[in-house]
Amino acid sequence: MLSQLGFQDVAVVARFDCFRGTSKERIAQKYGVRGVNLLARKQYR
Amino acid sequence: MATSCPVDLDTIRLRAEISTIYARVAADPGGDFHFHRGPAYAAELLGYDAAELAALPADSTAAFAGVSNPLAIAPLEPGATVVDIGSGAGMDLMLAARRVGPSGRAIGVDMTPAMIDRARSSAHAAGLDNVEIRLGDAQALPLDDASIDVVISNGVLNLTTDKLEAFSEIWRVLKPGGRLQLGDIVVESELSEGIRRDVDLWTG
Repeated sequence: MLSQLGFQDVAVVARFDCFRGTSKERIAQKYGVRGVNLLARKQYR
Repeated sequence: MATSCPVDLDTIRLRAEISTIYARVAADPGGDFHFHRGPAYAAELLGYDAAELAALPADSTAAFAGVSNPLAIAPLEPGATVVDIGSGAGMDLMLAARRVGPSGRAIGVDMTPAMIDRARSSAHAAGLDNVEIRLGDAQALPLDDASIDVVISNGVLNLTTDKLEAFSEIWRVLKPGGRLQLGDIVVESELSEGIRRDVDLWTG
């Protein structure tokens, strides 16, 4: 989606286990839910 | 990949539920929630600098409910204009404000008045004159076209009902060459219609 809008250099640069120890930990593990850092750049004209 | 919610999802109820939950977080950060909050969580699980967080007003860090660390993606340049979409109690916003310095601007956008009040008080307490917070929605940002150097957001866009609209807004407000430093949750498995239609699962 980001690339379709025109973003460039789209990359996930880090992942986080943000639900660890919460009541949602099991469902997060079941569906592979995790926090990520994502970088994207708007192209120059 | 689904980028919009099911057409019969009660989006009005969803938005109300989201506002209610985050108003509760603002009022009682130590309350019972399904997600982590606070500076210890930010430092231990998300890689924030504990000493840097300790230097911020506790009212902002206690109610932090992000899911990642968008400020760690790339340095913010002094003098830059940054917007934090879903700025909440203002922890990321104030960290950004310190990085861009007095010649820069840190603009927060949030839809929860209680969070805006908390963030404004904290920014004032921290002496940050380059912070501004606007009431608004990720799908209709109260910002001019091509006015922003860096967009940050932390655990917010996953709650929007139309991701394409939200990302289109980010595209619109970014200057050419500007960056999106996004922190959010992703799902590795495609979710069923039933799950995507359940408002309770969206909000906890």
